[in-house]
Amino acid sequence: MKTRRGGQWKEIRRNAAFYFFISPFFVLFAVFGLYPLLFSLYLSFTKWDGLTELKWVGLSNVYTMLGDDILLTALWNTLVIGIMYVPPMLICAFLFALMLNSGWIKLRGLFRAAFFLPSVTPMVAIAVVFSLLYGVDSGFLNHLLTKAGLEKVPWLVSEDWSKASVALLLFWRWTGYNMLLMLAGLQGISDEYYEAATIDGAGTLQKMWHITLPLMRPIFTFCTIMSIIGTVYMFDEVFVLTRGGPGTSSTTFGLYLFNTSFSDYKFGYASCVAYAVAICVFIVSQAILRRARNKE
Amino acid sequence: MDPESGQHRWRALLIWAIAVALAAPIVWLATRLLATPPRADSEAALSPSEIADTASRTNDIEVWSWNIAAASLKAVVPGFNRRYPNIDVFVNMTGANMQTRFFLSLCARTGGPDVMQFQNLEAPRYAASYRLTDLTEVGGKYREQFAPSFWKNCLVDGRLYAIPWDMGPCAVFYKKHIFDQYGIDPDAIETWDDYIEAGKHIVSESGGKTKMFHMPTSSDMARLFEMLLQQNGGQIFDDEGRIAVNSAQSLQVLRLIRKLLRSGIGSNVPFFSPEQLASFQNDTVATYPIAVWFGGTIRNSAPKTAGGWRVFRLPALEPGGPRVSNLGGSVLVIPDQCPKKPEAWAFVEYALCTKEGQLEQYRKFDLFPSLMSTFDDPFFDEPDPFYGGQKVRRLFATEIDKIPHLNRTRYWNEAYRYLGQALSAWADTDESPEDFLAGVEKRMKRRIGLELSPSSLSMKGNSP
Repeated sequence: MKTRRGGQWKEIRRNAAFYFFISPFFVLFAVFGLYPLLFSLYLSFTKWDGLTELKWVGLSNVYTMLGDDILLTALWNTLVIGIMYVPPMLICAFLFALMLNSGWIKLRGLFRAAFFLPSVTPMVAIAVVFSLLYGVDSGFLNHLLTKAGLEKVPWLVSEDWSKASVALLLFWRWTGYNMLLMLAGLQGISDEYYEAATIDGAGTLQKMWHITLPLMRPIFTFCTIMSIIGTVYMFDEVFVLTRGGPGTSSTTFGLYLFNTSFSDYKFGYASCVAYAVAICVFIVSQAILRRARNKE
Repeated sequence: MDPESGQHRWRALLIWAIAVALAAPIVWLATRLLATPPRADSEAALSPSEIADTASRTNDIEVWSWNIAAASLKAVVPGFNRRYPNIDVFVNMTGANMQTRFFLSLCARTGGPDVMQFQNLEAPRYAASYRLTDLTEVGGKYREQFAPSFWKNCLVDGRLYAIPWDMGPCAVFYKKHIFDQYGIDPDAIETWDDYIEAGKHIVSESGGKTKMFHMPTSSDMARLFEMLLQQNGGQIFDDEGRIAVNSAQSLQVLRLIRKLLRSGIGSNVPFFSPEQLASFQNDTVATYPIAVWFGGTIRNSAPKTAGGWRVFRLPALEPGGPRVSNLGGSVLVIPDQCPKKPEAWAFVEYALCTKEGQLEQYRKFDLFPSLMSTFDDPFFDEPDPFYGGQKVRRLFATEIDKIPHLNRTRYWNEAYRYLGQALSAWADTDESPEDFLAGVEKRMKRRIGLELSPSSLSMKGNSP
């Protein structure tokens, strides 16, 4: 055993140059990734506003968290918004990807760029446009609704509609991004499968059911997990569009975390909540991954 | 499970263990540094002897500020340099994340500016951490010259940690042609009840096309509440920092807000939304009851409307009641870690505590001075063409010393958010103002963890 360990050290020393070359990542990760991760774990058990003395409070943050009604509301809002936009977004992204992948569509590059554009547009610019679209008395959407003989909708100013308005924006913003991922997935499926199926006499639907969908499963899993994580930590969309209002009706978890830490300066408590939710997200994504793996 | 993956798992675990073992000392060291107790405040106070030879010093100072405020500070630099030719002032206005960067520099106890701008509601939190320079001994002498309500916001435990800059006295901006069209006499509007009657008249005569004002129930309700609460002398925190929102004054404000909501004279348009900015140039709304700085917003977004605006004083909550209030405003502070305190103070003193410093900023950038000794300047009596020659500056300066003081503690932002959230939920319900206040008070108590003021209506013997 001893000789083996000595051999390993020798090996490491022999390859020192290579370790040196890969070290930048590990150094940066240690400073900007690992250290904050561990420090916020430590903060979870403290009370600290950043400026005055840090106090060790043990598990008291956890107790506070269990009785925190605004946190509960924020998690509920996040869930509702997620359910409202993630499934339709993934379905539409898949349909658009199918269309762009099929031979009969012209100007493919243009469509691809057009669909992808929303996800790279700065959120502030989007917010201005959407607040004009969502305006109650002179907004474009309400103008269309009244033209069609329908009632005006209080998009951003009512507790009942604010979540839907945010979900609509998220749907618009992220469909193109997911579409691009799925398009890449579709293009990765070898034509040979389809050719073989055609020879065997399979129809379009059969090919879709038996070839495309099973082979796309890893991509679907990836998109779903990314969308869940994205939804839990969603921040800028809500921050610039509604600031979490009216009331707390569109306060998402990301915004709640921001308010708690950077508006109330409760860094200890915010870390505790962030850790708790991160653990939940980790468990959920592990479950999804495991399910997907088992199916394979 | 195959043995290979088991081994793999052990190796991963080992790597993690090593990483944690390496990082733990860093975390420990950092927490030691952070846990260093702050310096005692008495030591930190800037004394007159320290600033005695400032004029002969040569140094440069950095000021962090943004937008118009930054431009305004730049404008006073030439005047400052006539007194202190050897002190160069560099106004840094690369605004992104300035406040966060300042906060981080305080955490790190190094870096950051020599002079920093704050909104007056932010200042108490920083002052309470004793990381700002105690200015009591050098700045205390100016107390009488500043608006009392604003001065008090700069104190923590009776010590001065910030100097008031601009303030936001409130009044009502209105469009003259709409008032003329519907025969409304602004001088006859003395109370909010009069205001509601005038509003109803305008709304019904215009067939609902013109509303009286923007009353966004989704946001900004707290702003309206704050303006009215300060007007009638109510508080959210009492002088000891306890929760005092459940009071007769708050009830009066809530009853008025409900009356305003039910009267149908408000339009549900958020402040500073594109819809509101567009309203300056159309007839969708007749008035804007808000602070003096809103005039700058109108001037910038709708310069073509010049001459069509007038201002009348804030309506009173009850006949003969106060017709003044305040919204917003800012202060300058000097961080305690600043190595050039005398130079920094020289600049703050010139920019904010001299008549010429504050007047220059008001003239060029519309920052309304909190230094009351400027009010006797003839500039205040000049007619303003944007308001058709009305002497609006004098109007805003009227009875500024009578604005009641509103306590803001380090918990202001948090309390204000709970209030805003609760108000916008309350706007659409029939819940009584009494129940509403009891609920808000409970939430503040539980979440902020402060005691209730003995004056609270929920305490025994304080029946409404």
